[in-house]
Amino acid sequence: MPPKVCSPVCAGAWQVLPDAMDFVVTTLLNALTLISILMLVGLGLAISFGLMNVTNLAHGEFVTVGAFAVYFVQSVGGSFWIGLAAAPIAGAVVGCILEFAIIRHLYSRPVSTVLATWGVSLILQQGLELAFGLGAKPVTPPIEGTFDLFFTVYPAYRLILIAIAMLTLLGVVLLISRTSFGLDIRTVIQNREMAEGVGINTRRTYAIAFTFGAAIAGLAGGLVAPLAIVLPQMGVNYLANAFFVVIVGGVGSIGGLVAGSVFVGGLTSILNYQISPSLAQAVVLLAAIVAVRLRPNGLFNGASR
Amino acid sequence: MALDRNWLLIFAVCVVLAILYPLFADGYQLTVIRDALIFGLFAASLDFFWGRTGILCFGHAAFFGIGGYIMALVTLNDAIPFASLLGVLGAVAGAAFVAAIIGYFLFFGGIRGSYFTIVTLAMGVICQQAAVSWSSVTGGDSGLIGIPPIAFDVGVTQVDLSQDLPSYIFVASIVAAVVLALWSISRGRWGTVLTAIQDNEVRAAALGHNAPLRLLITFVLSAAIAGLAGALYVCMAGLVAPDLSGLLLSTEVIVWVAVGGRGTLLGPVLGAILIQRAQQTISSFNPSLWPLLLGCVFVIIVFVLPDGILSIYARLKSLLRGRRRAQ
Repeated sequence: MPPKVCSPVCAGAWQVLPDAMDFVVTTLLNALTLISILMLVGLGLAISFGLMNVTNLAHGEFVTVGAFAVYFVQSVGGSFWIGLAAAPIAGAVVGCILEFAIIRHLYSRPVSTVLATWGVSLILQQGLELAFGLGAKPVTPPIEGTFDLFFTVYPAYRLILIAIAMLTLLGVVLLISRTSFGLDIRTVIQNREMAEGVGINTRRTYAIAFTFGAAIAGLAGGLVAPLAIVLPQMGVNYLANAFFVVIVGGVGSIGGLVAGSVFVGGLTSILNYQISPSLAQAVVLLAAIVAVRLRPNGLFNGASR
Repeated sequence: MALDRNWLLIFAVCVVLAILYPLFADGYQLTVIRDALIFGLFAASLDFFWGRTGILCFGHAAFFGIGGYIMALVTLNDAIPFASLLGVLGAVAGAAFVAAIIGYFLFFGGIRGSYFTIVTLAMGVICQQAAVSWSSVTGGDSGLIGIPPIAFDVGVTQVDLSQDLPSYIFVASIVAAVVLALWSISRGRWGTVLTAIQDNEVRAAALGHNAPLRLLITFVLSAAIAGLAGALYVCMAGLVAPDLSGLLLSTEVIVWVAVGGRGTLLGPVLGAILIQRAQQTISSFNPSLWPLLLGCVFVIIVFVLPDGILSIYARLKSLLRGRRRAQ
């Protein structure tokens, strides 16, 4: 969880309002950091889980692989930015292999997909541990220091993270809505048989979409690496939260993804100030369950089912 | 029905083996198989739900852990009379209660299939985190130690399960009784309706069956037995730790069921015993190898043995039959 960032303490009763503004802005930015990461991780899940109906429990490992890519590049002397470029590539490579070796054979067997991808997740975690050893891996942010935002000062790297995440999301929206490949994806999602009928290679479209989601999750891992504790087991928390994003937000639209991320990320960030992080997690889970009960099709979509 | 007869036959063979085992085993071996049987009970509880409804619960260890912690807290408190009995009851009731709340929202909210799996996965993660961070009650990372063995009065005689043989007999009879009870539930009308719901919930509902309620009751029953297994385990082991509600145990229990054969109830018990044997052997070489192998087992099950080890026999039979026909 992101640590609380405070401005220099100001004394004096007349400064209560700026202090309150400082708190609000800091909380908002912390929430925005978490929401950005959740959106990137959730995007790949929205593709595989929401649209292809594939429950990929190894999705968290794409995040881990991305974070380890940054660590690896830094440990051999490369800069953070090279590592950040390597992160989505690493995620894509792992995702592509996973799709090719396992998932494409199991499209008609959902429970088998759950078991097999969980097995892959265990193998990847333990493989990373064997390759890189026990313990947390240090990743240094590309820029230290803070940025003055008038109401508060905030770590510059987090602002960059938010900006990159937003740009990536914008890019994905444009890709899906404006390109011919995006059109293929939307067609396959709406009706697989019809898509095949009009000559779209659905297998290939699925494979590319899955790999793409893995790459975005890898990017998220790279972005979060300087802030998080980089461990082989780090993926599972992102996995659980990202699934909640998709379930709460409802599948099938970028709007749902944003709504789900805001719900889960915002609630987590706000609760983290009041109660311990694990209790906050439990409350978010309960809230998500209740939200699903009340709006089975997601917050963003209509309540009808 | 031939299938029923086969099942009862295998069950009887297992019971005879369990009765004969103490004649050949020393005290340590007895405790090993006793602990494995408790995990077998846990596996059977998951199979009762997963095998009949086709819905996978990925956080079943949460109920095991809840049962274990309740049992530990009750028996470690000197002020509570009949601690063993109340502890077991509390463990069963606590696990059932949590399952009832979560199940109500999910089943009546129309959550099925993968969605259910994910939510229960998160539930398991959170239970483990809660066990670690709520250290004033749960003892944090190190857990609680010094949990006394089960002891209670039957009439005038006092049953004390601190010895190896009595505790083995006690656990083995509970496991046998529960597995038999679960089997008779799931082969009867209840199980038939669950199968109907699994095949087509809309049609089952159209025939007048309250599908969400059936699923909920099955889930609660399954969780209650997982809680019972947890309570038994902490008394036998003498300690409770966050691992007992952790993701790894949730994962392992799925492997036990999948290897033993989903929907057979007896297979998961055998699967639990066999795999724990393997785990102990492998972990003695290198502890970090086990999760790696566990992952490989998952992938192998899915691609090679989708119906578990008990299906090898049926497969061989059909293979031989096919060869004979070919000749």
